[in-house]
Amino acid sequence: MATTVAQGVHGRRRVGQGETFWQFRRYETGDSPQSIDWRQSAKSDRVFVREMEWEAAQSVWIWRDTSPSMSWTSSPELPEKRRRADILALALSVLLIRGGEFVTFLGSDLRPSNGKTTLERLAKVIDRGDRENNGLPPVLPLPRFAQVVMIGDFLSPLDEIEDAARSYAARGVKGHLLQVLDPAEELLPYDGRTRFEGLEGEQSWLLSRVESVREPYRKRFKAQCEGLGEIARRLDWGYSAHRTDKSPNTALLALYLAMTQDRGR
Amino acid sequence: MLDLGLLAFTQPWLLATLIGLPLIWFLLRVTPPAPKTLAFPAVRLLLGLDPPEETPARTPLWLILLRMLIILLIIFGLAQPLINPAAQLPGNGPVVLVIDNGWAAAKNWDGKVNAMVEVIDRAEREDRAVVLLRTAKRSPESRADLSPLLPAGEARELAQGIQPHPWQVDRLAALETLESQDLEGSAYIVWLSDGLADADSNAFAERLQAFGDVTVLQDQAGALAKIVRKPGDDGLELVVPVERASSEGIENLTLTALAEGGTIVAREAVAFQSGDKTAELRLRLPTELRNRVTQLSLESESSAAATYLLDESSRRRPVGLVTAGSAQQSQPLLSEVYYLQRALEPYSEVRQGSIDELLARKLAVLALPDIGNLTTDESDRLGNWVESGGLLLRFAGPRMAADNDDDLLPVRLRGGDRILGGALTWDSPATLSDFAAGTPFAGLDIAGEVTVERQVLAEPSLELGEKTWARLSDGTPLITADPRDKGWVVLVHTTANTDWSNLALSGLFVDMLRRIVAVSQGVADGNANSIPLPPLEVMNGFGRLVSPGASVMPLPAATQPETADTPDTAAPAGGVAVDPNHPPGFYGEDAKQRIAHNLANHLPALEPLGVISGVEAASYSKSEEIDLKPWLLLAALILALADMLLSLFMRGLVRPQMPSAATAIAVSLGIASGGLLAGDARAQSLVDEGRALEATLETRLAFVLTGAERVDGISEAGLQGLTRILRRRTSVEAGAPLGVNIERDELAFFPLLYWPITTDQRSPSPDAVRKLNDYLNNGGTILFDLRDPSATARIQGQQSQTNLALQRLTSDVNIPSLEPVPPEHVLRKSFYLMQEFPGRYAGGNLWIETSESQANDGVARVIVGSNDWAGAWAITDLGRPILPVVPGKEAQREMAYRFGVNLVMYALTGNYKADQVHIPFILERLGQ
Repeated sequence: MATTVAQGVHGRRRVGQGETFWQFRRYETGDSPQSIDWRQSAKSDRVFVREMEWEAAQSVWIWRDTSPSMSWTSSPELPEKRRRADILALALSVLLIRGGEFVTFLGSDLRPSNGKTTLERLAKVIDRGDRENNGLPPVLPLPRFAQVVMIGDFLSPLDEIEDAARSYAARGVKGHLLQVLDPAEELLPYDGRTRFEGLEGEQSWLLSRVESVREPYRKRFKAQCEGLGEIARRLDWGYSAHRTDKSPNTALLALYLAMTQDRGR
Repeated sequence: MLDLGLLAFTQPWLLATLIGLPLIWFLLRVTPPAPKTLAFPAVRLLLGLDPPEETPARTPLWLILLRMLIILLIIFGLAQPLINPAAQLPGNGPVVLVIDNGWAAAKNWDGKVNAMVEVIDRAEREDRAVVLLRTAKRSPESRADLSPLLPAGEARELAQGIQPHPWQVDRLAALETLESQDLEGSAYIVWLSDGLADADSNAFAERLQAFGDVTVLQDQAGALAKIVRKPGDDGLELVVPVERASSEGIENLTLTALAEGGTIVAREAVAFQSGDKTAELRLRLPTELRNRVTQLSLESESSAAATYLLDESSRRRPVGLVTAGSAQQSQPLLSEVYYLQRALEPYSEVRQGSIDELLARKLAVLALPDIGNLTTDESDRLGNWVESGGLLLRFAGPRMAADNDDDLLPVRLRGGDRILGGALTWDSPATLSDFAAGTPFAGLDIAGEVTVERQVLAEPSLELGEKTWARLSDGTPLITADPRDKGWVVLVHTTANTDWSNLALSGLFVDMLRRIVAVSQGVADGNANSIPLPPLEVMNGFGRLVSPGASVMPLPAATQPETADTPDTAAPAGGVAVDPNHPPGFYGEDAKQRIAHNLANHLPALEPLGVISGVEAASYSKSEEIDLKPWLLLAALILALADMLLSLFMRGLVRPQMPSAATAIAVSLGIASGGLLAGDARAQSLVDEGRALEATLETRLAFVLTGAERVDGISEAGLQGLTRILRRRTSVEAGAPLGVNIERDELAFFPLLYWPITTDQRSPSPDAVRKLNDYLNNGGTILFDLRDPSATARIQGQQSQTNLALQRLTSDVNIPSLEPVPPEHVLRKSFYLMQEFPGRYAGGNLWIETSESQANDGVARVIVGSNDWAGAWAITDLGRPILPVVPGKEAQREMAYRFGVNLVMYALTGNYKADQVHIPFILERLGQ
């Protein structure tokens, strides 16, 4: 992980997300076909990709969902969603700071910075283990062209999520949604007569046979995830989902790549 | 007790609780099972979802019926129903159990205890007191064991503790104690007899009837006790008489001869003919074994009289052989001792030593070769020993011929010896004449070739003819004998070796010595030590030797418990009787000197009890009464367990798809699981077939499942990435990769196996090793990946963890010799031209089977490297690489893919790329 990221993060004078042309380079396996510059490619036998200069980032604001529903795991072998979200947030901060970005946590009252002590302060924020009851980010005035990364389970109603995200997007803030889920939430692996109780004071629900509603539940769940992706697409934001039984490396890599390469194109 | 003919309830009032059943029905009906509660963050998505069909909130009917059945079973079980209940006991007073617990009762003792418990159970139901009377004494002082009037519960405990004793019963004495007890009302008497009559058994039965109704229980005639009497000895065989009580029918028994410590020396069948009360077993054993026998016992007859203990007196006649010091040992094959030893051994126990040593122990015969003069002391002791019953067997020789004023000789001898057939004589060597009738040798066949060259001659006298047992053909005596008080002195007029005669070489010599030994008295036995002998081991009632209890007295001195030569078993005259103070067993200080004290020598002939008038007779068979209580309660318990499992299942706490749980339920319920298992097996074979189709319909890359989830995930993703590259760049259109469990799965389907090595992988089982070897020998290729950049340079010798793991995993697999990939190897040019083979790491050496081995058409079977290729190949579903490569950039990943392509092409196409077709192109690339 460190080597992959270290290869590129030297400073601003390099390839990355931005508006200005930086260089053409040979097409390599793994590049998106959309990135091919047809005009340049047509001039020779080779296939070229247009790359932009990574424009200096303004600041990245990371928000973690700290509601009670995050402090839950379906099995003792899996980490809590909150813990996984904290790890991802902190690891992302490390990568971004190495890349020269200004980073802070949304709602932590810390100013975005990339100083040496930033990480330490961020870790302290996580250590405090604050809890709030709302599963959605607070609407704070962010500077234009800032980026916001939201990490949470996003199980709230879609329109509420969209409202929250749109209030940021309206200010020109780019963003990325990372949905952290427990496998049990996706698969509903329960049977028999069961009473389900929410963690955030929701109404409880008694099911006589859980297995019989598994299919409709999965449909709803899928609709939730797709709806989230739809919101992100409409706002031109990034969206990815991560399950706690998978390795966080992949999620982090995808998130990082999405933030440094694919964005702004 | 509620009696309904076939069925009776012991506790009928419990049936009243059946009234409560409808109430329980109602309660069960209204209580739905409780749901389990779970916290669930995504509950919002569940709201409003309802199962398509509504589960009834009430317990299903069949479950209620099951639970009602459980309760019914418990109520009926507690009411204790009896099938075929026994009739009421006669009389109204106490129930008296008269128990013969003498030696003869030991057989079928369990049946007797069961009979006691049965009678006590019936007495308990009728609430009657029980009296137990044991007819065998516990000690000589007490008259009999009579218990006071006991409640049934105490009586049952007492009855179960009664043990048979290894001595005789004394029924009249027992009866007297019973008569002195005050029994209220008319008693009911059950006499649990041992089935043997004695002098007063009839009188006993008559007097018992004075108390009330009497029932006599006795065993069948064939099941009565049997006795092993004192064995006799005819010099060759051990004759064991066996006796039984009834003379009806043919019975086959087995007699075992046991040595010290219970080892079986011999085991022979002995049969009673119809009409006979006795039978004989002739046991022929080599002396060594014969003398080791300490017990003769009848198998499956566990009583004190069915085991006969043997001591020194019952052994073969011991013969002492006097050896006269070391001079004779210089030429052992010529010495007289050697010939005598060989001749005596087959039929007697031979001991060697000086006269003093030999006389210290009991002897039947003392053989004295020609050893010259005896000292006065020795001859006095020998004389005393002979007079008290010993047989002294002497042999002539040069020393005796020279000096013959010895009085331990049967006849007076002339001085000097007579030489026949010598160089200076006219006579030829003399032969034997026929043995006269009346001598011990009568009937022995004379072998013609026996000749005597020298002998000593007896002075003629009047008694010489009587004293002579054997003569030469010229009438001169060869063997003379003279009785001295209880003993004998016998002289053989020639030597015991071949100096004077070849008699010692003939088979006749052995027979003659056997006859002579048979003349001897044998060993007197009994406690000759004149001190009381403490008990060493005594028998219990079942004929087993146990350590003696505190009440056992020493065997008194100077009396003989058994007289050796008068097996007068009918009348046990002298000797110590077998009684509570002197139970049968071994007495003495140690195992060498012990004396056997046997019950069989004190028993009269056995008589069966037979029919007694005025008394009801019955046998010890089990009654027809069946108590249903335990069965009903067991059924209730099993159903309750089933109910518990069912409720767990219904509440979802037990998953139905867990096969182990399902099996456990099936087993615990005792449901025949045959059908289930057969279904399982069919499913298994279907799975196998499905997997085989899956593996073979497309070419697939395969990797070995290590058990480590992360490694397996990377392996799968890696091969997926490689498959994708292959599909894009080559004509290999492989399917999705498969994980292979080398313990379970068939390997033959895959051309190439990728095996990442982890340190905690389990070593393959012998079965898996066999499969791997088959795979390698029949065209398979395995790529071992150590995934460890440090484990590079050498495979043998360097001991990194992964190296060790590789060595451990493949220790039994047929790994061929390896070498680093040579520069011209096909692997370097099978698709791409390659110099290095990087994976996620670069630089590690790649080892491959040497090209010398021509197996599999020259395709290497084993490739070993450490570069973690799967790590480099691994991609996500979206085609993004999962792991970074070090130290190179994406170019290194590309090279890793190229290696993968080369490897697959190599494995699939074999050595055809080794042909020359690429030479021109390669030359061009090389710029030449």
